[in-house]
Amino acid sequence: MQKIRTTFVFDESLNSTFLGELFEGDTIYAETVFEDFLKDLPIYWQRVETAYTNKNLPALGTAVHTCKTLFGYVGFTDLQELCQQFENKCSVNTAEELRVEYILLIQRKERAQHIIEKEYDRLRLFNEGT
Amino acid sequence: MKISCIIVEDIQIAADFLRKFCEKSDLVEVKGHFLNVADALEFLDRERVDLLFLDVEMPGATGFDLLDSLTYSPKIILTTSKTEYAFDAFQYHVNDYLKKPFTYKRFLEAIEKLQQTQNAEPAAAPAPAPALQQPTSVVTGTDFLFIKSEDKLVKLKKDDILFLESMRDYVKFVTPAKSYITYSTLKNMEEKLIGPIFLKVHRSYIVNINKIDDIRGNTIYLLGNQIPIGKGHKDEVAARLNIL
Repeated sequence: MQKIRTTFVFDESLNSTFLGELFEGDTIYAETVFEDFLKDLPIYWQRVETAYTNKNLPALGTAVHTCKTLFGYVGFTDLQELCQQFENKCSVNTAEELRVEYILLIQRKERAQHIIEKEYDRLRLFNEGT
Repeated sequence: MKISCIIVEDIQIAADFLRKFCEKSDLVEVKGHFLNVADALEFLDRERVDLLFLDVEMPGATGFDLLDSLTYSPKIILTTSKTEYAFDAFQYHVNDYLKKPFTYKRFLEAIEKLQQTQNAEPAAAPAPAPALQQPTSVVTGTDFLFIKSEDKLVKLKKDDILFLESMRDYVKFVTPAKSYITYSTLKNMEEKLIGPIFLKVHRSYIVNINKIDDIRGNTIYLLGNQIPIGKGHKDEVAARLNIL
């Protein structure tokens, strides 16, 4: 666990060093960003699911690209790398070939979403107390 | 004086961060945020800004498509989460390249670099990319020409060209199928394309007279494009087009 200033400590699965630089101790703004992430991710993820169902690989790559950017703003730098690899494969593989990696991506996305839900609640409580 | 800018970005969180950074810096004034290229272009047709924060991958059209359509050259900072666009960024003379997500520190570095460039500009204009040096950007033959565009030499039949448009240090060649941008000036093109089918009708436009559909007032219509006739070119246009 690392600290943002000396007060709020992000979950260890997030890149807290980067989040510290990004928010510069502004936990109120971090709360806003985490809330926006939870609001936006399902919308963008729907595009991923639609593209995969339709086997539209260029659209799938673009949709994953957008989610990748979103994951970065809440400190999931490792998940960004996974998205990047998947995005690259969209231009050379078929939907069938990507099935296993797609399932892995869904699992990682759901885990990430769950962590951010908890982090958002913690940030909200933290900010209410300050 | 603050640098005026617009943000062209389809991810709201990313745009919000940028806006926040601009406000915090007190160096940049955000005139608008657009989620896609079409809306941004509509704004840029009405109003000029000093700087574009431009995402590359957006629904409908890319940031590079927007750059292809601009009729003037504001400063450009690309904001993208891919590093693969670095070469294209270089070709388009982009001023900086911010990989998302980026911190306020990195944002400020880009703005300060931009300010330094602006201060230095009157003394020395930025050098063109080596691959796009003016003397080699266009090679002409009798009924065709080669232009250097997107890192390759593209062969264009002169008959296929609808018109040429000046974009400050670049010229856009518009054909029915595609547009190409090359590093050159319209004056240079005028000299290379001298002949019966090309006519300069405006300081920013040379048209292929065989492609003109009609002329209404001071506007030439050709294949859905509208080209203005400049005041100083009216007489020559009338003479060359046998306007009775």
